[in-house]
Amino acid sequence: MSSTATTPADSKKTRNRIFIAVGTIIIVATYLYLVVGQPTDIAASSFSQSGLIAIAGYVIGAILLAVGAIHRLPTATVAMVPVAIALNIVVGQLVSVIGIPVYLDSIGTVLVSALAGPAAGVVTGILTNVIWGLTLSPIALPYAVVQVVIGVMAGYAARLGMFRLFYLAPVAGAVTGFVSAIVSAPISAFVFGGATGGGTGAIVGAFQAMGNSLLASTTLQGLLSDPLDKAIVFTIVVLILAALPSRFRQRFPFMRQYNVFGRKAPVLKDATAAAPTVES
Amino acid sequence: MSTTLFDNRKSVIHRLNPVTKLIALLAIIVIVFAIPLWWVAGIIIVVIVVPAAVISGSGGRLLKLSLRILLPILLVLFIVQGLTFPGGTTVIWQWGIIDITSEGLLFALGVGSRIVVLVLASMLLVLTTHPGDLMSALSERGMSPKFAYIISSTLQLIPAFRVRADSILLAQQARGLSLKGSPFRRIKIMLPLLSPLVLGMFTDVEERSTAMEARAFGSTAKRTALIPVPDSTVQNVSRWVLIVLALAAVATPIVLGLL
Repeated sequence: MSSTATTPADSKKTRNRIFIAVGTIIIVATYLYLVVGQPTDIAASSFSQSGLIAIAGYVIGAILLAVGAIHRLPTATVAMVPVAIALNIVVGQLVSVIGIPVYLDSIGTVLVSALAGPAAGVVTGILTNVIWGLTLSPIALPYAVVQVVIGVMAGYAARLGMFRLFYLAPVAGAVTGFVSAIVSAPISAFVFGGATGGGTGAIVGAFQAMGNSLLASTTLQGLLSDPLDKAIVFTIVVLILAALPSRFRQRFPFMRQYNVFGRKAPVLKDATAAAPTVES
Repeated sequence: MSTTLFDNRKSVIHRLNPVTKLIALLAIIVIVFAIPLWWVAGIIIVVIVVPAAVISGSGGRLLKLSLRILLPILLVLFIVQGLTFPGGTTVIWQWGIIDITSEGLLFALGVGSRIVVLVLASMLLVLTTHPGDLMSALSERGMSPKFAYIISSTLQLIPAFRVRADSILLAQQARGLSLKGSPFRRIKIMLPLLSPLVLGMFTDVEERSTAMEARAFGSTAKRTALIPVPDSTVQNVSRWVLIVLALAAVATPIVLGLL
């Protein structure tokens, strides 16, 4: 069933690799430019170009990554992505209504990354924020790159076997949260001036009053909440993976190849190998 | 609750090609973020966003939805930056240890005016453009149909998700689950809600992917559009004008030496 998706894509493989490489370089360069160029910018109090560079660099980088990644996905993965995005949005909304001080808006992204790899996580992540921006709040759009980072990190954590033991997952989650806090800080600082919500805004203000710069304050604020949030998300994902039927898990080549969930099931492996879902 | 905010009307703005509106939105965002003067954002709101909203007839909804998003952000922005902006030296109002600096307020005005434009302009696009039209217009221009599938499918899934979540919640309440209590208790409530919800939705995926593959979803052959999105030469020209304007806006502060 996947032969149609893989054979003609050979000519596009180099193009997709270039997209992914350029996208990554743009995101890294944007962050480095904003962090290195920030002090002079604030002193001249014309923070404007920083805001433009933050949005443009991150959005263009994220789009290139997604365009490069989406061609790799087989139909089984593409069919799963909308469910994961809906999970992100519905749980994220539910949590904000209940009033718990975490976001939990990346459960779907991490779950897809663990089942189908970083490329699928990237697509889930960016489209979550695009759809969130189209339906509930345009504020989510500039943050698309953060979900992309979460997708990539979760995918590689899965490859390294962080989901095999339930106590390793929160550690991987905390590391992911650390990175996503650092990546999202320039957006909060230069696009939104530190004010993305009541509680977070107050914390940013407190850090500024202690004498930190705006970027340092948003970074510290992110470091307070993101690692905890992602540790919880990764733990929830391990629980979901354990509860999913083994037959469903074994359908994904990424899951089988890197033995993401640990438990070897030779009988199941043979059964899926015989089925027509096998990837080349 | 509907999934999209699309306001179904027949105005000129609604009938524009979605790609034109998307490029206009991007150009507006680039212009306000490129020129570091708050009144540029003000002029764009008065000259472009407000007339477009009035012509589209969705102005009332735009105002209501945007205020709900903008008010908390702007309030926090002005309070926090007015009080604690690191570069603030000129104190204009003092009370005890609290002092408001004019630099902080100017910074808040600069950032706030741009957020207002960002939210108003993108809300207007969302209100006047059906996501399906936007997807088919972008697919015609070479976007992978997988993107279109994922976005359209998610928009249909979210209400289904809500219905399922509500019925699970009712079922759990029927067997005595209380929704009140401390934050820790409320986290515990999530678990009996989440597991049936997630497992149910993900097991549906299997059937769907088989059905899609049976209809050649994975094929990379070029598709034709079932419903072509109307376009015109005027719009094509104006798209290029908008792109040039946006690039000019990026160059302006550098040329004028404002930085």
